[in-house]
Amino acid sequence: MTKKFTSDIVIGLEIHAELATDTKLFCSCPTHGSDEPNTRTCPVCLGHPGSKPVLNEKALKYALKLCLALGCKISPDLIFSRKSYFYPDMAKNYQISQYEIPLGEKGKLSLKAGKSVGITRVHMEEDPAALVHTGSIQKSPFVLVDYNRSGDPLVEIVTEPELTSPEEARDFMKQLITVLNYLGIFDISRCVIKADANISIKESGYTRAEIKNITGFKEIERALNFEVQRQKHDVAEGKKIVHETRAWDSQKGMTFSLRQKEVEEEYGYIIDPDLVRIEITKDLIEEAKAEMPELAQDKILKYVNKYRIKKEDAEVIAQERLLAELFEKVASEIDPVLAAKWLRRELVRVLNYNKKEMHELEIDESHIIDLLRLVESKKITDTTGQKLMEKLVEKPFDVRKYIEKEGLAVVADKGALEKFCKEAIDENPKAVEDFKSGNEKSIQFLIGQVMRKTKGTAAPKEVNEILKKLLK
Amino acid sequence: MSTTDFIKQVQNKEIDVVEHTHKVLEEIKKINKEYNYFNTISEELALEQAKSVKKNPKGRLAGLPVSVKDCIVVKGVESRAGSKILSGYKPVFDATVIEKVKAEGAIIIGKTAQDEFGFGGFSVNVGVGMKIPLNPFDKNRACGGSSGGAAGIAQKISFPHIAIGESTGGSIVNPASFCGVVGLCPTYGRVSRYGLMDYANSLDKIGAIGKTVEETAMMLSVISGFDEKDSTSINKPAENYENVVGKIVKNMKIGVIKESLEEGTDKEIKSDIIKAVKGFEELGVKHEEISLPLTMKYGVEAYYLTAMSETSTNLAKFCGMRYGKHEKLEGGFNQYFSKVRSANFGEEAKRRVIIGTFARMAGFRDAYYIKAAQVRTKIIEEYKKAFKKVDCLVSPTMPVVAPKFSEIKKLTPLQNYMMDILTVGPNLAGLPHVTVPCGIKDGMPVGLMLVGNHLMEGKLLQLAAAYEQK
Repeated sequence: MTKKFTSDIVIGLEIHAELATDTKLFCSCPTHGSDEPNTRTCPVCLGHPGSKPVLNEKALKYALKLCLALGCKISPDLIFSRKSYFYPDMAKNYQISQYEIPLGEKGKLSLKAGKSVGITRVHMEEDPAALVHTGSIQKSPFVLVDYNRSGDPLVEIVTEPELTSPEEARDFMKQLITVLNYLGIFDISRCVIKADANISIKESGYTRAEIKNITGFKEIERALNFEVQRQKHDVAEGKKIVHETRAWDSQKGMTFSLRQKEVEEEYGYIIDPDLVRIEITKDLIEEAKAEMPELAQDKILKYVNKYRIKKEDAEVIAQERLLAELFEKVASEIDPVLAAKWLRRELVRVLNYNKKEMHELEIDESHIIDLLRLVESKKITDTTGQKLMEKLVEKPFDVRKYIEKEGLAVVADKGALEKFCKEAIDENPKAVEDFKSGNEKSIQFLIGQVMRKTKGTAAPKEVNEILKKLLK
Repeated sequence: MSTTDFIKQVQNKEIDVVEHTHKVLEEIKKINKEYNYFNTISEELALEQAKSVKKNPKGRLAGLPVSVKDCIVVKGVESRAGSKILSGYKPVFDATVIEKVKAEGAIIIGKTAQDEFGFGGFSVNVGVGMKIPLNPFDKNRACGGSSGGAAGIAQKISFPHIAIGESTGGSIVNPASFCGVVGLCPTYGRVSRYGLMDYANSLDKIGAIGKTVEETAMMLSVISGFDEKDSTSINKPAENYENVVGKIVKNMKIGVIKESLEEGTDKEIKSDIIKAVKGFEELGVKHEEISLPLTMKYGVEAYYLTAMSETSTNLAKFCGMRYGKHEKLEGGFNQYFSKVRSANFGEEAKRRVIIGTFARMAGFRDAYYIKAAQVRTKIIEEYKKAFKKVDCLVSPTMPVVAPKFSEIKKLTPLQNYMMDILTVGPNLAGLPHVTVPCGIKDGMPVGLMLVGNHLMEGKLLQLAAAYEQK
């Protein structure tokens, strides 16, 4: 098995993402709402004797959409298995999961650089309960169990060991989250996404360690970078790398050994006899397809080819579904290149500055279109446009009325502009002297003065020309 | 008084249900002291229900005492599936069948004794510290199992009553046959399993035990039908099965299972079955011999591998954490779970968990668990082929009459499992089957088993009732 690897680092991921359904996978308890422990529970998700699971069909549809988006081969039947092991977070001491035949197999997902990563399988399963410790796991005198999470719907995505660096692993997670967001099956504000990473290096002959439960794409890169260094260091010191399971301590920024894996875990899978096989009909697949939006990677191609915008701009815009949707609406009215520039640079900048997310944005495309029309026709300057964008993100308003009221339109009258320039020259003899004695830069100061007088409505290039003319 | 007449009188307010329920409770308490048919007598619930039925005596089972096998959950009534590990467990919900019989005015009188979780054919594998039910004909003999308490009380009670039983590999017809009553096990999925504590989910079926075919038919009419809470429930509305009682059976055809009358079956029982077939002949029913070689050869093995694999996962949830028996909290969770399970599971439960876990382990599952599933498919095909020729198949229910406890002790586990040879077939194939008394040997009842095609309970009950009334 290890023979086929040639890269310095080999990484494979198993990612668990929570699906954004309103109810749990096998009962009608809510997946979100009250966080008071053990209030969102029933005999099914508590594993009471006599209770039976019934599939949430919405969760199936969500998982099916993911399989389709990842180009997986879809299983003709949905079959659930019992994965048996004893653990206090398990309501039944088995987890309802999928084993022999996962919902989807043999898919792929492209990284930013275009590299295609194989998806081994995508399957559905239920989340166990949450174990609650006081303080740290090691020191807590007792463990409490909260079953609110028990039975939440998860999808597990397993990749081929085709990632060759921690950066690629990070990018993979990022691309996957984009797909999940696009499909509307994942709610970043409440759904958890976690990864287990298998990682090995050439120097050890590819003996792999599994790092459990890494949350978020930034963390995955950190954890794997640490692990690569650890493995290299150990090999260099002559220590043997062992097949083991490790945990990631985000605060300390290091991984630590949990247990050695001398044998594969034994889960004694059987097909869950409480759940009937569900045929994945063509109709069901078509229905799921019809509800699927155009995905980010298709959008990037479209933006570059049809709208002729820069690939980097296209990537930033397509990454975020809401931004992409806004862009497409704006681009139908405004020059797409201009729209892309303003959304990607200005809107994203202002959002980041205000620590706001796209879904918190109150303005819609009409505000942006109004704004960019004014910019496009040079009725306002870029500086004015930037300021307006900042105000719009804070609170929506009618852009055109605002411009009229505040007198922010570009000073188009050359005579008026010349008057402001003369004033600036008269008021700043020192700068004029500096300029005349060869300090070209001091004209910037004069331009700034004119801009202040015109509340930023003057075109700097024009002011520059007038000033130079007057100072000759 | 027949059950039908009793219900009519209750509906017409000719019987005081509260008074009657008191009398029934007195009697079953007395019987229980001697025969151990109940794990719990639900006196409080029964009287409460009786009061409400007295006010509003409607419902198809108005005022009728109904006993419930311990493995079917009844809200607020200790439900243990015959196991010590569930001591003190009072379910927070009613099984679907309980909701249904309550809605029809039935009075729940108690939870009947059984082999722990259904693990046995004699009701001797009761939970740690629990009592073994005794045969109503001879206290030195077994009631059969695993619904032993249900069949025992169905025979012994002097009042109208129907028992709700459960069968995984024969646990309704086996004790019904040993106790000389009628037992009906429907098609898999015909009755909701919601609220049934699982033995083997792909095999478990809830059914009825009564003194007459009509009684079991009445109960099936109430408890069958689709239930969205059980994914394996068949989407078909309930029927009025009691209507078939008394219908003419002329020109129907039965198949006598050839292998069931060969070596292994008691000679006197064999002659009772031959007599029964002659009886059918007199009713104008035709017959032919049918051979089921695969079922008879591999049925027991396929049954036990499937049932034990499933049950070893079902029993995992019992670990002293959320409900049932708890022990002193000490050590890690593995030690704690082991302590609870070691102390509170009986010997047979442990045997089945161990064998079942082995059969589904990587490296063995293909040879055992998967192979058993394949054999099961072949067995269904064998039955399906037979039903192209005949309406029902007949055989003895059990190859022997109820054995003495002293005889059971001498059986090896394998000999014990082989007792199920005639009943595992229809159970593996999910086919409806019924047992009716057809003779006496050494003072002990002999049962005739009729097996019908899927969802053909009507035809099955029609033939059984015709034979019974002859």
